[in-house]
Amino acid sequence: MNIVRTGDKFIFLAGAREKSLLLGLLKLYPRIPAAHRLKRAQQLPDSSQKLLDEALAEQRAENAKQIEAFLAEPARFEQTEAGWRFSLSRAELEWLLQILNDIRVGSWINLGSPDEKRAMRLNKETAPDFWAMEMAGALQMQMLEALKG
Amino acid sequence: MVETAIPEVSPGIIIEPEEGSKSGLEPGFLVICWNDPVNFMDYVTHVFQQVFGWPRKKAEFHMLQVHEQGKSVLTRESMEKAEHYVHQLQRYSLHATMERDQ
Repeated sequence: MNIVRTGDKFIFLAGAREKSLLLGLLKLYPRIPAAHRLKRAQQLPDSSQKLLDEALAEQRAENAKQIEAFLAEPARFEQTEAGWRFSLSRAELEWLLQILNDIRVGSWINLGSPDEKRAMRLNKETAPDFWAMEMAGALQMQMLEALKG
Repeated sequence: MVETAIPEVSPGIIIEPEEGSKSGLEPGFLVICWNDPVNFMDYVTHVFQQVFGWPRKKAEFHMLQVHEQGKSVLTRESMEKAEHYVHQLQRYSLHATMERDQ
């Protein structure tokens, strides 16, 4: 997939398989389990923790709605001779980065939160999470490069 | 944190401006970002720039602190502001917490 920055817009040019990969990845959101919370000592008042949990849950529900809208908007993707073309604003690209990172981190949690990649055992059960983590990461790196522009 | 390119930033050479109130009358909360082996270094730098509006060098300094020391205290704020920043960092799926400044 190529991502080119033109002013405030980011133009994506994707082959048919890349487009299908991106849409397939987005359908995995949300990937981070709702109950997942950092297991570290915190001196946070209960009210603050509740507020943060609620805000995050609301955000995830809103993101899920936005993804549905994104996937249900065929006019966003234009077929050209070079492949599928679609554009995102800067704000949409930031949003997509957050979505992809949820998928990456959630897949890593599903794999048992290993400290190193070589500690992950690739087999039939772990392959979907491994695939999602790597693909989301590859797309993120391309987007970060485009943002550096 | 997953290593990408190591930026040419030496920890310790940036003079950090004071942020937030350190008044004894107003309790402060520290916003902390913790290391994990999954987020890319470039991604963490980008998130710090977005959330705090920092220049790249400052964002890289804190990213390296997270990477090398396991955590970085990003700022000290009132409870409301600290909650806001933690929420913003968690939206990007970073491990961020806040705790009362002792």
